[in-house]
Amino acid sequence: MNEKVKSGIAKFFLYAFLIILAVICFLPFLMMLINSTRSGNEIMTGFSLIPGSSLGTNWKVVTENMNLGRGFLNSIFLAVCNTLLVSYFSAITAYGLAYYKFRGAKVIFTSMLIFMMVPSQLSLLGFYDLCNNMRLIDNYIPLIIPSIASPATVFFLRQYILSVMPKAILEVPRIDGAGEITIFHKIVLPIMAPGIATMAIGTFVGSWNSYLIPMLLINSPEKRPLPVMVAELSAVRDITTNLGATYLVVAISIVPIMIAFCFFSKYIISGISAGSVKE
Amino acid sequence: MKKLLKNILSITLAASMTLSLAACSQETDGGNNAGNADPAPNNGGGNSGKADKIVLWTLSNDLKQFAERYTNETGNEVEVVVFDSADFKTKINQTLGTKSTDVDVFVGEPQMLPDFFEAGFSADLSVFDSQVKSRLVDYTYQAGLDSDGVLRAISYQACPGSVIYRRDIAEKVFGTDDPEEIGKLFASFDEIENTAAKLQAEGYTIFGDTGALRWFSNSSSPWVKNNEIIVDQDRLDYFDCAVELYQKEYVAFAPEWSAAWYASMAGPLPMHAEWSALDEVSDNSQTEVFSYVMPSWGALIVRDNAGDNTGKYGVCSGVCSFFGGGTFLTVNEFSKHKDAAMQFIEYCTLNDDTARWWLTASKGDVVSNKAVLEENKDFKNESFGNQNTYGFFLEEMDNIDYGLITAYDDACKDAFGAAIISVQKGEKTKEEALKEFYTVVITQYPELKIPENAPINN
Repeated sequence: MNEKVKSGIAKFFLYAFLIILAVICFLPFLMMLINSTRSGNEIMTGFSLIPGSSLGTNWKVVTENMNLGRGFLNSIFLAVCNTLLVSYFSAITAYGLAYYKFRGAKVIFTSMLIFMMVPSQLSLLGFYDLCNNMRLIDNYIPLIIPSIASPATVFFLRQYILSVMPKAILEVPRIDGAGEITIFHKIVLPIMAPGIATMAIGTFVGSWNSYLIPMLLINSPEKRPLPVMVAELSAVRDITTNLGATYLVVAISIVPIMIAFCFFSKYIISGISAGSVKE
Repeated sequence: MKKLLKNILSITLAASMTLSLAACSQETDGGNNAGNADPAPNNGGGNSGKADKIVLWTLSNDLKQFAERYTNETGNEVEVVVFDSADFKTKINQTLGTKSTDVDVFVGEPQMLPDFFEAGFSADLSVFDSQVKSRLVDYTYQAGLDSDGVLRAISYQACPGSVIYRRDIAEKVFGTDDPEEIGKLFASFDEIENTAAKLQAEGYTIFGDTGALRWFSNSSSPWVKNNEIIVDQDRLDYFDCAVELYQKEYVAFAPEWSAAWYASMAGPLPMHAEWSALDEVSDNSQTEVFSYVMPSWGALIVRDNAGDNTGKYGVCSGVCSFFGGGTFLTVNEFSKHKDAAMQFIEYCTLNDDTARWWLTASKGDVVSNKAVLEENKDFKNESFGNQNTYGFFLEEMDNIDYGLITAYDDACKDAFGAAIISVQKGEKTKEEALKEFYTVVITQYPELKIPENAPINN
């Protein structure tokens, strides 16, 4: 009996704690949604959980000042390209590093680890210069192609595939005479899928939210991705007049990320927990 | 042993890759020059069809309206790109640092301009020098000069400061709402303390927050003269005044840009709101804020947030005349369409019709064109109790002494403000705080000296 009471109390605190955590996580989203229906003035003067009546006005400010659809297309294009490139090339690199024995494999792997530790902001100046000299300013190429080389993803996928796929699996298709690339596409890639999905969502979200590099490299308004457009929207007029509109765009811009998360969350959870007990 | 060798090898590989990157960036100098000389005819040829089209980078929508009007009238195209002000300087430094030709005209606020000039980003606009000097408000001319006195930036607007006060409260407490008379109540820091005490007796607070006083910190001498940091009597008065207003609770403790500050423009608010939302404030004592000290764009903020108090405000002068902000246009030194760019700048800044149009289109922006301000001198501004605001601002701007502005102002003001706050909160004595102020500024600018007769030693 005593035990039951004890566990009941423990459960109560546990649930209370979890509920508080959930509220803390959820509240900012709720406030964002509510604020997108209030006028800038109302937002500046206080906080409320009751939706306001300015959704229409905010929407008008948005459509007058920015090309939302264009921004969406740009951002989706960049995010999808980045995600595909990162997924495919990191997977093939990770596979190569994990299962092929060649001279220098370890050296390459270690130097990748070292590069992983260099923050990307550090190379920003040089990167801009490089793009400028290659005449790639105001072009999507520097926003997409460099994602092919993503050491952190390679590192994760290498560890992942080592833990989920015994080397013996590869012997079967080899005996049957499959080519190495076919083996990768038909056998390895499906086995790695959960791991790739985990990294893909990270890449997608990262690319969707990336602001600094597109802001520096893109000059034409019609080529800007959403975050840069949002920054522009918050700048066009005095903050009180378009704060609500900014909230609205941010709320809208989060939708694809939520969709992406819904699709991949199954994989993320299995991907993170995979490898511990799996045979 | 083998492992060690491998480790060494991988580190050298990584190092060599980094080095090769560095080498690349070193080469860019040479490459750049060559690149610059070479593509000029190419690009020129490619772009010749729309040679007149210029690209403008700015910080707000204002210039979009200018550009539309310009295109309608002249047929020349202007592409306006708006950037968030937080990253604008990075963007300009990055882009023009590589001598980019992607932008023809860009804007800058007065405090950004010296950096742009020094970096060589802004083209010489001295063809307009005499016109700007004679036809535009003097301080905007001065702000556009580089350290050698060459004109490099021109503004279409002017941002003179003022005290924005509640006429109804003035009438009630001081028996008059005349700007001249109220101005006297703000004429010196001592006077401000008296005024604040009188207001408190009637249940009002003079400012939202003591930060309002910072606009008056340039009242008599520059912050730095002959490389010496100057803290004269006026600045010490400012210091004492800010501390007194704080400690005697003469202000509402609603800092600029806080929710409470915005709310104070429309009606009563609780004391000590600080940065919290109004319904969370437990303090029961209600107060109303009497005045705000802000540049002309701040007067528009007060006007737009006045709510029930619309029309009850007035503007008057304070301890000294000042200005804050403003959008200056400057031509990219590396632009390929300099003539078209200059034509656009001339249209925005030196054309009387444009200034007249902007005065109404912007609903109250103060333009830099003196003749147009003069025409509107007697315009009765309903939002400010039918006061002749343009006439007032015109006079105010005559008193702005641009000679008091130095490149060190922001750093000094910030450090001085921090010193004041530490005394207000009782963390330091005045002497300690002033010592700290000197140290902070000197650390930032080692070339400066602390004057021997610094008040701190007295």
